[in-house]
Amino acid sequence: MNGVFEINFAIFSLFIALYITEIMGSVLLLLFWKASRAAVLPYVIPVWELTGTFGALWVVTADFAYPSLLLPAAALFAPVAVIGLIVFVIRNSSISYAEFILKRGWLDEEKLYKAYALATVVVGLAVLMALSALFSGAGVDLAAGSFSFIGWVSTPGSLLFLLGTVLIAVGAAPIFYGVTTFRTIVLPCMIAGMGVSVLAYYLYSPSLVPGWMLVPVLLTLLAGLLFVLSGTTARIVSHKVVFLTVLSLIVFSLQFAAYPTLADGAIPIDTVTTSGPMASAYVVITAIGALLIGAMIAFLLLMARRPVRGTREGIAGGRSA
Amino acid sequence: MSGISMEVFDRGLFAFTIASHIILVSMSLGLIVLMVFTEFLAIRRKDSHLKALLERLTKVFVISFGVGTASGIVMAVELVMLFPTFMTAVSLTGVIAIFYFEVFAFMLETVALIVYVYYADRFRSPYAHWAVSILVLAGVLLSAVFIVMVNAWMNTPNGFTSLTVGPNGGVAVTGVNPWAPFASASAFPEIAHVLPTVTLTGVMLVGSLLAASYLRARDAEERTTLIGGLKIAALLGIVLIVVAGASGANEVTTLFHDQPLKYAAVELDPNPGPNQPETLFGSLSGMTIVGGFGIPGLQSALLQMETGSAWAPGLSQYPAADWPPLWIHITFDIMVLGGLLIGLYFFLYFVSLVVLRRKPFQSRLFLYSWIPMSALTLVVMELGWVTDEVGRQPWIIYQTMTVSQAANYSSGLLVPGISIIVFYLLLFPLTFYFFGRIFNGARGANARSGPDGESAAADPGVHA
Repeated sequence: MNGVFEINFAIFSLFIALYITEIMGSVLLLLFWKASRAAVLPYVIPVWELTGTFGALWVVTADFAYPSLLLPAAALFAPVAVIGLIVFVIRNSSISYAEFILKRGWLDEEKLYKAYALATVVVGLAVLMALSALFSGAGVDLAAGSFSFIGWVSTPGSLLFLLGTVLIAVGAAPIFYGVTTFRTIVLPCMIAGMGVSVLAYYLYSPSLVPGWMLVPVLLTLLAGLLFVLSGTTARIVSHKVVFLTVLSLIVFSLQFAAYPTLADGAIPIDTVTTSGPMASAYVVITAIGALLIGAMIAFLLLMARRPVRGTREGIAGGRSA
Repeated sequence: MSGISMEVFDRGLFAFTIASHIILVSMSLGLIVLMVFTEFLAIRRKDSHLKALLERLTKVFVISFGVGTASGIVMAVELVMLFPTFMTAVSLTGVIAIFYFEVFAFMLETVALIVYVYYADRFRSPYAHWAVSILVLAGVLLSAVFIVMVNAWMNTPNGFTSLTVGPNGGVAVTGVNPWAPFASASAFPEIAHVLPTVTLTGVMLVGSLLAASYLRARDAEERTTLIGGLKIAALLGIVLIVVAGASGANEVTTLFHDQPLKYAAVELDPNPGPNQPETLFGSLSGMTIVGGFGIPGLQSALLQMETGSAWAPGLSQYPAADWPPLWIHITFDIMVLGGLLIGLYFFLYFVSLVVLRRKPFQSRLFLYSWIPMSALTLVVMELGWVTDEVGRQPWIIYQTMTVSQAANYSSGLLVPGISIIVFYLLLFPLTFYFFGRIFNGARGANARSGPDGESAAADPGVHA
């Protein structure tokens, strides 16, 4: 048990859970624009801002938690990260333009939202690639300080890892967005995605498939089952806060892939986490931050649940989500 | 590509990214400050024109926030990728704690903005909604404060006993106090100067959007809407330029105390002494100033007023290898003269408005001149940063770590880095084009607004 790691992984889980919900929405927007926009956009439009902020929070807390990993990280992932950043800027720009664009010429709301969706999926795939490389060491040459894309692709498990995650995302998307039209694809996609993912982990290393991997597997399948079981259970599991909480827990439960070692045993986490007064500061600031962010999110949820006051329209202009 | 040239590439890429990003930061600050004042006045005076203006400014702010957030994250990751040894030092000292708090401020800005924009119709009292705009402003300002604290620490590092860099880029730090960097010697003076100047730049840029729109506007309603914003921008401009000037003088005093070499370079003082002239422009040949012109004794007289001592440091006190590039003297002079020119512009506005009882905001000359003045403000702000950063060279952490020690020498960064530059060269003009298009695109919708200024944007027809 390493407190600094646990805190950082918890923040990572929140960020990834938020990002996964955006990827799920993006897949729906790309494949079924007309059928899904009414369900997806009211969630995605305000939340994309929050996801980016949680991303920044995780980057900073990771810098804080693992100071001695920064040099190898820069050596390994600099080119991938820089390209990922360009796509991330495209994501933010296109959705913020899309919110307010007036149709003029060829550029319209649909094209911009699809650009956002595509960029979100591409960044997601890049993040998955980097994470799987970190967990498994695929394509990573720590001694030379280099990362090889070809090496990553040719490692058994890498492409299956991506495929499994995408299948799970496609299966979970109708649950989160409450799109019952696509309920038939939920369980098949989730079961197939889980099977492929577990196989990918196993191919990376049998040690990445411990017995308690059943926890995330069962939680994920339970969500799918509840969605197709009845209207009441579907409403419960489709509730945004409930789903996000469960998804965060699922991601958090995957920490065995990163602890106690990263990169197929090459990096023992306990030797690279911050220590001494910096570790104490990390815990204190995280505690302060948890209170502040908790209060902010509570305020946000309170306002989101408040009924619309009919007498006064939004002075600030944007649409209510 | 050789190691040295990759270091230059890292410097250039980061300088380009941060110089671009700061424009969006200033836009965001200027916009939110204007929005806070505009909304307050709109509610208090029940002014439908100001309400309409607020809606348009808010849309521009959301785009500025969206693109600015992403470019901020680009910078955060670039710092790790381009200067990993520097970020290792940051992560081993309390400086990373400042970044951590900066993210909380950023979170405040994000959450408050979401509530402000997307849940505006959930408020009973308009003043409650206005209060949320203050939370957004607080988030933006605090973000800026924390980032400037990091920069101040780079200029006057503290919070450790020793920091050494090994041959392979490893960093060893002893005697860490994680809380000390929040109060480094130059933190307060730098915050006091940067915040008003960046806000002023943003207010001027937004004002130029209003002025340009006014000059193109044909109907009286539209002009009344835009003039309301320009009046607020001009009032804020007067206050901010005064604060920026006063805090700028204080900054020079801080340089004198904490970074005397940078002071000597900025003032182009070859030798120390008690009767230094104020040298405008010029350069150093050997130890002699050539070109430019000096005002005898002025620098020492100003120092006497600010510090109580007329004695100014000189370059000759330090090894030439430690000198920063001396062209920062030119950037400093342009910055100061530009600032004075902006001050003169607002002084004339003030005289015209208060003493002569005219209406300068209805003068086409005033409106036309606002646009180049806003460009000048941007140049002044950028040159201020150039002076500060280049003036610290060769150090990335003053007298502790050089840029050469901090840089990433991997040539793998070359293509992605050039891609970022090309991408930004497309993105930023496009973003500013969108600012104008979104701001003016809402005009027709505002014209349809009722006399009570009900939200035009709530009309689905406004959206595509």
